[in-house]
Amino acid sequence: MTAKKIARRDIADLLNEWSREFGVFVPSRDEGVAKWARWGGGDAGFLEWYRNTVVPPKALFFPPLEEMFSFQKDGDGYHVGQPPPTEDRWLVFGIRPCDARALAVLALTFKDGYQDPYYLARRKNGVLVGLGCTRPYESCFCTSLGISPTDAANVDLMLTDIGDDFLVEAVTDKGKELLSKTSLVQAATGADEARAEEAREAAGARVTRKVDSQGAHEKLRAGFEDKDFWERVSAKCISCGICTFLCPTCYCFDISDELVKKQGARFRSWDSCAFPLYTKMPVENPRREKWRRLRQKVCHKYEFYPDSFDVIACTGCGRCIRLCPVNWDITRVLSSLPAQEQLRLER
Amino acid sequence: MALSDISHRPKFLREGNVYLPHPAVIEKIVIETADTKTFHFNFKDEKLREEFTFQSGQFCLLSVLGIGEATFCISSSPTRRDHLECSIKEVGRLTRALHRLGVGAEIGFRGPYGNSFPLDFLKGKNLVFVGGGIGLAPLRSLIWNVIDNRQEYGRIDIIYGARTPADLCFSYDLEAWQQDKTVNMVTTVDRGDEAWKGRVGLVPVVLEEVVPSPDNSVAIVCGPPIMIRFTFPALEKLGFSPEQMLTTLEKRMKCGIGKCGRCNIGNIYVCRDGPVFSYAEISSFISSEY
Repeated sequence: MTAKKIARRDIADLLNEWSREFGVFVPSRDEGVAKWARWGGGDAGFLEWYRNTVVPPKALFFPPLEEMFSFQKDGDGYHVGQPPPTEDRWLVFGIRPCDARALAVLALTFKDGYQDPYYLARRKNGVLVGLGCTRPYESCFCTSLGISPTDAANVDLMLTDIGDDFLVEAVTDKGKELLSKTSLVQAATGADEARAEEAREAAGARVTRKVDSQGAHEKLRAGFEDKDFWERVSAKCISCGICTFLCPTCYCFDISDELVKKQGARFRSWDSCAFPLYTKMPVENPRREKWRRLRQKVCHKYEFYPDSFDVIACTGCGRCIRLCPVNWDITRVLSSLPAQEQLRLER
Repeated sequence: MALSDISHRPKFLREGNVYLPHPAVIEKIVIETADTKTFHFNFKDEKLREEFTFQSGQFCLLSVLGIGEATFCISSSPTRRDHLECSIKEVGRLTRALHRLGVGAEIGFRGPYGNSFPLDFLKGKNLVFVGGGIGLAPLRSLIWNVIDNRQEYGRIDIIYGARTPADLCFSYDLEAWQQDKTVNMVTTVDRGDEAWKGRVGLVPVVLEEVVPSPDNSVAIVCGPPIMIRFTFPALEKLGFSPEQMLTTLEKRMKCGIGKCGRCNIGNIYVCRDGPVFSYAEISSFISSEY
């Protein structure tokens, strides 16, 4: 399918059109914090300020707190209700390639073995409209993870900013269906495609931070027991967990109940390997010390997840760097991993 | 790439929402010690009662709705199918709530999850069970399983210890195994009392006194972490190879199906890949965090 284009000023109309069929979510600012919110009409002002959201779009598919099911207590027993239904059809507009990859990474865990009905239902009913990233942050390093900031790999429909217009490409059948239904798009010209190519190249060049993501696996494995190293790189961490909550690929969760009088519900909520309680058992706790927890976080992303699923559970979105209150920096940890030869010498 | 093949799991586990607990009713409560009770229970749903299967070593999640859910091994044997048993020590909020329930109360059940003791590997071998405290619970499922198929296994030694005589669980089972002429039952306590006429000594020490032969044998070990850590070296000294030692690991769990994240040791998830491991496997884990 040849590419299409849509005028910048028509984006709001397109969102209005889609809103008739889908629950549409767009980047939005809530007290200065960029997160995802339902499109409420008006102008698409976010196109001007939006770089990426603070709260990643995983929150739409795997909410920070969600009801798993409700129950009613009657006498000695319970009546368990069905889980709340998820939205019929919904659309996320403006997802960045790093975050789109993250959803694919999350799906590996939620699909493996026993299916996670909550995540998979939302993913199945959801349509992803990607928006190429032209203003990456200094903390971004997606290109080191094999992602380009304008990558169309994990979305249904991809938009690339070419000035007064956006180039529009249908990636999947869902995306093709979207395009076939709107009259707001028109055929793109060769010049449009050339401008898009230019924009892609320029965006890629703006991601200047680099890590050796492929080499990390061996180094992490070799240096796993290097307590001094892990103590050193975790020294300033305050175990607040924000890097995991805002990480687009972190999926750890807790399950808890609430009962008010006779009406109750079971919820799941985001949890974090940064917290000592996360692994605490009645007698022992395998990760009581902070350096062990931080090691778990880094190794999970760059060593254990690749061991399990052949993909690194990091997309280089940079949130854990930008939003850390003490300026902890995963790229510095990865760059300072001792080489194997060095470790051998020290032994 | 799908890691976990669940196609061989029973149908009732693969259908529907995996997180919904099945209602079960407590039929009997046995007081084991001052802080441990064994709950006998059965599913409310008759169809599930018929279809339900499990294997020794598997675990389940029990719910007291409104309080929460936690992981327990199934301590009864699949050879005795009329009900299920879980033996539960009161250590926290959920176990306290469970301990307050009476016969007739409803609980929620999810599972069975995890792998199980490798019966095919154990058949024809001499079995040395080494248990401590409530750690006898998962072993007990296997012990009854083996006794109910006695001709398929070789010699059986059971070495079981607790801190004091009052901390010995399953006294009725210990009695039965003591009476069983095909079983060598050794009970020990760390500290005796005036009435205690039996052996006194820590499990790993008693193990070296009993001197089970490693020839064609497998040791199955479960107990508090400190006991496990001293038992493996004791078994090694007796000539047991890492492949001849099995244990079942405990970790904090929430989902039981490899999703919630916390029970990992490297890329091994105890709920998904365990809880039963050989010492050879444990030694190959990248992390010492077991």
